[in-house]
Amino acid sequence: MNPRAEPVGLAARVLRTAPPLLLLAVMAALPLFQLGPNSLKLLFLTCVWIAASVGWNILGGFAGQVSFGFAVFFGLGAYTTAVGINQGISPYLTYPLAAAIAALASLLIGLPTFRLRGPYFAIATIGVSEAVRVVMTNIDFTGGSSGYRITEHGPFRQAEHYYTALALAALAVGISILVRHSRFGLGLRAIRDDQDAAADSGVNPYAFKLAAHAIAAAFTGAAGGVLARYAAFIDPEGVFGFQRSVGILLMPVIGGVNTIWGPVIGGGVYGLIEEELVAKFPQFHLLLYGVLVMLIILFEPGGVVGLFARARRFVLRRRVASWQPS
Amino acid sequence: MTATDFLNLLIAALLLAGTYAAMAVGMTVIYGVMKIVNLAHAGFLMLGAYYVYELHERLGIFPLLGVLLAFPAFFAAGVLVHWVLGRGVPVSDTPTLASLLLMFGLWLVLQNVGYLIWGTDDRSILTPMTFATIRFGEITIPKIGLVVFLSAIVSLAALEFVLHKTWFGRSIRALIQNRYSCRIVGIPVERTARLTFGLGVAFAGTAGGLLALLYPFSPDFGRPFLLRSFVIIVLGGLESFSGVFAGALILALVETFGILFVPSSYQPAISFSLLVLALIVLPDGVAGFVAKMRSRGAA
Repeated sequence: MNPRAEPVGLAARVLRTAPPLLLLAVMAALPLFQLGPNSLKLLFLTCVWIAASVGWNILGGFAGQVSFGFAVFFGLGAYTTAVGINQGISPYLTYPLAAAIAALASLLIGLPTFRLRGPYFAIATIGVSEAVRVVMTNIDFTGGSSGYRITEHGPFRQAEHYYTALALAALAVGISILVRHSRFGLGLRAIRDDQDAAADSGVNPYAFKLAAHAIAAAFTGAAGGVLARYAAFIDPEGVFGFQRSVGILLMPVIGGVNTIWGPVIGGGVYGLIEEELVAKFPQFHLLLYGVLVMLIILFEPGGVVGLFARARRFVLRRRVASWQPS
Repeated sequence: MTATDFLNLLIAALLLAGTYAAMAVGMTVIYGVMKIVNLAHAGFLMLGAYYVYELHERLGIFPLLGVLLAFPAFFAAGVLVHWVLGRGVPVSDTPTLASLLLMFGLWLVLQNVGYLIWGTDDRSILTPMTFATIRFGEITIPKIGLVVFLSAIVSLAALEFVLHKTWFGRSIRALIQNRYSCRIVGIPVERTARLTFGLGVAFAGTAGGLLALLYPFSPDFGRPFLLRSFVIIVLGGLESFSGVFAGALILALVETFGILFVPSSYQPAISFSLLVLALIVLPDGVAGFVAKMRSRGAA
């Protein structure tokens, strides 16, 4: 049952579903064009970031609960997959495990912090990521701060990694669309707009936020796992670091929070430029991100998607203005 | 643990609590008046540290005087930032997503400007006082800790005076209570908000300077203290000034005595655990908890 009134009819439906499927088809066909390993790596990273970004948006966008600590889930997912593979478990079984552990962690964080309204959750997330990073650097079992190596037997097939990441990103977008158009998504939106009104209409804000947090964490955790297998080496600073959290938060903000395609666009942009930026401006890139976040919030809180919408309105208005009745 | 050890730790905790209170109070005023969680607090703490450092290194200004000079400079900076951000930092009833992200962006900018200017190395401000101690028999008090504590207390006393004896202070307290009534009685809400933001940033800068006398610092100096500030104001009930003192004292005691039970490498996890505990046990802060107990006793 779709609670939202939308244009119906076959043509409208085709128009709505065709572009995303076309995009997916193009993305799936890309490795066939004999891309270099560097381009394929960029595409792989882009897909990983899209999955994490879409995940963040389910909580931060749909439910309006900003988290500065998604590196926790990313890192937990990465370490779960890493340990799993080294234990001889098939990588494809470790991804659901990574997602599950991340979701479990999200419950642990959400149970105390979602009980209260206000800024508690957002600030607590800064502390969580710091605390988890500290614990991980001190755990001997995974090598502590010196990192953890993943040894996988068999040849390295880059295309396989890419398709895994693409499948995850596609799944994330699919779930994001489902959530958006479900009663659950409607409840999240109600919480975002007015928690009291939502609670009065029978939405349980506590349970809804926890569920959104868990879904978001699951995708971020799986993304961490997929990246860990590709990288074959992870360390606490890299996967749990504050920069990771900043990156995951930044993507949806660039693209447009609380939209379906904003986080995808943001993840795409971030994935394509991040490596280059970090390599060229090791310190400067976070400064750029900070300026970007401030400019976006001050001038176009809708991000890239908001900018498109504004441009469309502008064009439409000019068209209306230039239309003279004869 | 002997009685002297205990006393020494207790003194250390009390000295730390004063500095912590000065550090967190800037966050409380801004949150109380505008319901903005000033994440950039961390950035201003860090800049305060480098401000005092640079004055000391380049102009030879005594660090304590530098801390005093930090107050007007950061007040002006805060007012300027508030003016530049304009409608991005409104006076609102609940913290908004936009203001949270905006202050986060500002923090990233400040932190990384810090990296650009000063690099990643740790710096520290050394004075003849740094390693000096005052001895009372077995009990030793670090001189620098005492001086920093006294400065923090003086600044907090000045704040109390301003809050209770001036019209600006009264408008701040009124705004914390009810912004609509403030408009009715003619309090210039926007102007008070701007000055409050300046005041909060000024306290951040000053406290950063004071902390720099105690600890080495790098451009990431503010982050652990941001979390500590937040723990303190959550313990204090977010908007109450007396709560800040209680929160600062609790955090300082837990951190100082925590050394006995928790390995030092896990130190950063302490403040977070305390935060979670506070959220579960004392959702209204210590002041709210006391009030609840009192009303229960009366009933």
